[in-house]
Amino acid sequence: MTDDKIAVALRGITKRFPGVIANDSVDLELREGEIHTLLGENGAGKSTLMNVLTGIYRPDAGSISVFGRTVQLKTPKDAIDLGIGMVHQSFKLVPTHTVTENIVLGLGRGFSRVKLDEAQARVATLSKQYGVKVDPNALVWQLSIGEQQRVEILKILFRGAKILLLDEPTAVLTPQESEELFHTLRSMREQGHSIVFISHKLDEVMTISDRITVLRGGKNVGTVLVQDTNPQDLSHLMVGREIKFATFPKKESRGEQVLEVEGVDALNTRGLPALKGVTFSVAAGEILGLAGVAGNGQQELAQVITGLQRPTAGTVRVQGADMRGKRARHFIDAGVSYVPADRHGVATVGDMSLSHNSVLRRYREPKFGKGPLLNFNAAIGYARRLIKEFNISTPGHATPVRSLSGGNLQKVILAREMTTRHHLLVVMSATRGLDVGATEFVRKTLNDHRHQGGSIVLISEDLEELLSLSDRIAVIFHGEIMGIVDAETARIESLGLMMAGQRLSEVA
Amino acid sequence: MRLELRLERSRKLEYLVPVVSVLLSLVVCAVLLLSTGANPLAAYSAMLKEAFGTSYGITEVLVKATPLILCGLGVMLAFKMLFWNIGAEGQLHMGAWGATAVVMTGWDGSPWLMIPAMMLGGFAAGALWALIPAYLKVKLNTNEIITTLLLNYVAILWVAHFIYGPWKDPVSFGFPMTMQFPEGAQLLRLAGTRVHLGFVFALVIAVALYFIQEKSRWGFEIAVTGGNPNAAEYAGMNAGRNILLVMLISGGLAGLAGMVEVSGIQLKLLKDISPHAAPYGYTAIIIAWLARRNPWGVVLVSILMGGLYVGGETVQITMKLPVNIVLIIQALILFFVLGGDILSRYRLVFDRPGQRPKKAALSGG
Amino acid sequence: MKLRITNHRSTLLIAVFALAGGLFLQACGGGEKAVAPEAAMEAAPGNGVPVKAAFIYVSPVGDAGWTLAHDKARLVVDELPYVETAYTEAVPEGAEAERTLNQYVRDGYNLIFTTSFGYMDPTINVAATSPDVTFMHCSGFKTAPNVGTYFGRMYQPRYLTGMIAAKMSKSNVLGYVAAHPIPEVIRGLNAFALGAQSVNPKIKVHVVWTQTWYDPAKEREAAESLLDVGADVIAQHQDTPAPQQAAEKRGRYSIGYNSDMSSFAPAAHLTAPIWHWEVVYNKVVEQVHTGTWTSSQYWGGLADGVVGLSPYSDLVPQDVRDLVEAKKAAIVSGAWDVFTGPINNQAGELWVPEGEVMSDGDMLGMTKLVEGVVGTIPK
Repeated sequence: MTDDKIAVALRGITKRFPGVIANDSVDLELREGEIHTLLGENGAGKSTLMNVLTGIYRPDAGSISVFGRTVQLKTPKDAIDLGIGMVHQSFKLVPTHTVTENIVLGLGRGFSRVKLDEAQARVATLSKQYGVKVDPNALVWQLSIGEQQRVEILKILFRGAKILLLDEPTAVLTPQESEELFHTLRSMREQGHSIVFISHKLDEVMTISDRITVLRGGKNVGTVLVQDTNPQDLSHLMVGREIKFATFPKKESRGEQVLEVEGVDALNTRGLPALKGVTFSVAAGEILGLAGVAGNGQQELAQVITGLQRPTAGTVRVQGADMRGKRARHFIDAGVSYVPADRHGVATVGDMSLSHNSVLRRYREPKFGKGPLLNFNAAIGYARRLIKEFNISTPGHATPVRSLSGGNLQKVILAREMTTRHHLLVVMSATRGLDVGATEFVRKTLNDHRHQGGSIVLISEDLEELLSLSDRIAVIFHGEIMGIVDAETARIESLGLMMAGQRLSEVA
Repeated sequence: MRLELRLERSRKLEYLVPVVSVLLSLVVCAVLLLSTGANPLAAYSAMLKEAFGTSYGITEVLVKATPLILCGLGVMLAFKMLFWNIGAEGQLHMGAWGATAVVMTGWDGSPWLMIPAMMLGGFAAGALWALIPAYLKVKLNTNEIITTLLLNYVAILWVAHFIYGPWKDPVSFGFPMTMQFPEGAQLLRLAGTRVHLGFVFALVIAVALYFIQEKSRWGFEIAVTGGNPNAAEYAGMNAGRNILLVMLISGGLAGLAGMVEVSGIQLKLLKDISPHAAPYGYTAIIIAWLARRNPWGVVLVSILMGGLYVGGETVQITMKLPVNIVLIIQALILFFVLGGDILSRYRLVFDRPGQRPKKAALSGG
Repeated sequence: MKLRITNHRSTLLIAVFALAGGLFLQACGGGEKAVAPEAAMEAAPGNGVPVKAAFIYVSPVGDAGWTLAHDKARLVVDELPYVETAYTEAVPEGAEAERTLNQYVRDGYNLIFTTSFGYMDPTINVAATSPDVTFMHCSGFKTAPNVGTYFGRMYQPRYLTGMIAAKMSKSNVLGYVAAHPIPEVIRGLNAFALGAQSVNPKIKVHVVWTQTWYDPAKEREAAESLLDVGADVIAQHQDTPAPQQAAEKRGRYSIGYNSDMSSFAPAAHLTAPIWHWEVVYNKVVEQVHTGTWTSSQYWGGLADGVVGLSPYSDLVPQDVRDLVEAKKAAIVSGAWDVFTGPINNQAGELWVPEGEVMSDGDMLGMTKLVEGVVGTIPK
């Protein structure tokens, strides 16, 4: 075998963690000038493999060669020196510094004014060369998520990387931003760069890739050319079974109004207006989807209707009761369940056991204790029930939830929020980062819930998900509702226009 | 050289680390002792014997442990909620002051009334002192490490003001101290020893805190808030109210420590109610840490710490060792336990020289 | 500072170990009093009681001040054939000290010196349960049948140092770094001011209270603040030489305290009012040895030699020395004492009328400052 055109060759990479084999003798070849997608469910070993390639983990077995030379990657610095750079899901930028400053930060040379000017010129060149649109002088906190991601890419190019690893780069982007990213990636490919692209979204994968490698259970289960495959085959490879993307049947009859939001204004954490005159309602047996590009007030809206944040104007009624001046616990008592977007940071306590987490929002209920006392045995029994009903894979109820996979953690949260006798379920980014199997489970659970008469506010950036689940879809832009449309008749194009700031009246 | 996060922490390690750390610190101290010409084994066995080998030693250990347990429990409760109360020393002083204030009214009644009144006075004064930083935290989000620490100095000067001024014993020739408390204001002692009722209070409170922490809804709230404050808010817990309540108890317990110290041991208010070399309120921080924020651990570690002092003091006499040896051992224990704790969370990775560590090492897979 | 302690101590430790590896085992064998004194009896000449004397110190012996002065005296009595001594340093004041005292009692010591005011109540408490042991408490006012007190009229040499300071001052401003506002310190400060005014009526004495006996950093800061207001001689009632060093750094003069501090600030140190505790210790040890000790309150002065002046620096001119020596002779002879009227208080009102001498009781309870002192007593 010749290594002429091979940028990176991983051979027999094995990495074990206590109790788990994350990578089991994985082979992977990355050719020069190709976009190579790494596909796999959560926990399939994608991140581990990339961490091996960037020098963060050292493999227990196997060899790595870069441009034909066998190398030892002991630190991330080694990888950078070899021209390997990675864009992580969470960015590592200093918000108060400019784009250029962030790019040169950590290069180890002091940045005097002159050098900074040089650097700026180079950043400008690079950004033109690869079509990465970003102002080198802008302060990072002023940038959108998409722009920040471009800074991360420029940072890697600035360091002379020939091999780029992108970990789910589109998860945080709008469809338009994703298009621009793909444009950049293609331009890099043409200039000889090699790119490893990690994603769950099969349509994207089909659009951008040259070749696709699928990992399952830490093993390479196949590398294919994009023209030789299709989404069905890929999902089959990933999960080892067929997954059907179906539009869920809607419920015929709806009940009375469960949530009524009227003229609500709210501020964001920086004290700026985040919601302006938001009005909508949700009936029993209905899923209302809330579409919008991230950062347009979804977070604030979720907090307002779950009592975690007080509106500065307007009213929120749950089951007809005015919730003015009420705290989160009153909302919980009134039957509002909430699945937040941030599973680790908000929805769970990582160091606490599954059973403790299963009563996180329910510990005040009489069934979990008497008076001031908490009955932990009842919590354990309840946790056991959830594990069984929701098919949560965990060593046991005493396991700290920190060690659960993303999908299982989401199941714990969903299970807890849905088994409460509640009237309204607010769900935010319910399937983000979940693998195909877990995503399907979550969607099915939400759908079943609707059919049992539950009402759901489904906040998501995934239009496909919204269209397949919702009865109606509201679109939010800059804190205002642009319009509410019937999911059955909604067109993706008009939703996209509304997400970009046009009102329903203007697009219809 | 850099630290890499361990993906799994074993429970065995949690308990093994402090033990190994203490042993290591004793080994290092042994080298120190050898360098001064002393026999470390003889010194350690003498310390152990003096502290735990005689009935007198044991009673003195309990005397020493009493304020440590009370302060340690208070600090532990606050730490459990990640409220860094460094102010037990000041709260203890205010508690001693509050208890003394009851006596200074001139009331000389039955101990059945006086002692509870003094306990209330001590608890309330310590609690109020702790509520200042708690309130500032809730309202203005001030850093409690700084406010609690600085208020210690204010409390100590506050006590000084009263013993130099209004409460100075008129027959003390101007020396800074109050008169001796009347009998009704003195805590009952175990016959022939200095062990007083305060030790019983400390044990009762340890049991109570155990139940609060492990069995109550409020204890669950504290644990959740300590584990993830965002999750606590999400779960509808009132963080501000809990901070105030926790600090009320935390400061109150340190205040009670001050009360039992003046009413059970000193029998008057004076400058040195907490030893200079190892003040109770600061030692309590070490204790809460070593005890892994567990009430039984606090009791156990306080008694061991008391033994270290008593053994150290008496070994100073019997073996003529410098007093600083005790202080060094105490400091080394903390140093090793903190170091051990870090190593049980992270693993040490050695890089080739000349390489700069990368922050990315901490992001897991 | 701490290292010095260890060095100082290591020789002693080696001696102790060489002497009596077995003694230690007996000592921690459970406080059987009889053993150790018997062993010492054989070595004791004459027919007196062997004396095992323990000293309780408030700071490390390396403090170069108060405790060092006591420890120097301890080493003097330790030379006596019938005396064995031991000490514990940095013992907290207040009830904590009881444990240390009890330990010495249990270890068979029959004479215990407690060398700081804060040991007063612990001394009385432990003495009550140990009637066979003699206790001597330094600087307190409570006694018992087996508890006596001892102290020195330090105000006498302080008066003399005030004279020297005033003679050496050009700015007419003297600085006084004072510890706690208690009668002992106030008395010394007043005596210093009176001595200074006796040779220069225009002199002012500025005082700063540190509220600590032993804190080099705080003492240095206090001295610096006094130097900043123009003081050109710094005196101190503190246990470290830090104020001496602060004065030397600025090229000013200083008056030490406790023991000769000239080695710490040779270019500034003029003299120091110092303790000669061996005068007391020799006497008490002998009384206990011969069984003639009775409880009393000892307060000796220059005449007894328990207080005095350290050697003058070359900086002090002969005429000043002569002046001081003459005054000293008057005090020693008993013809005159420091607090003899007329003395005005700080407000300028007559305090001690012409010809009257303040009683010992009034001196021991002194809480007012004399005219010419700038500063107030903190309340």
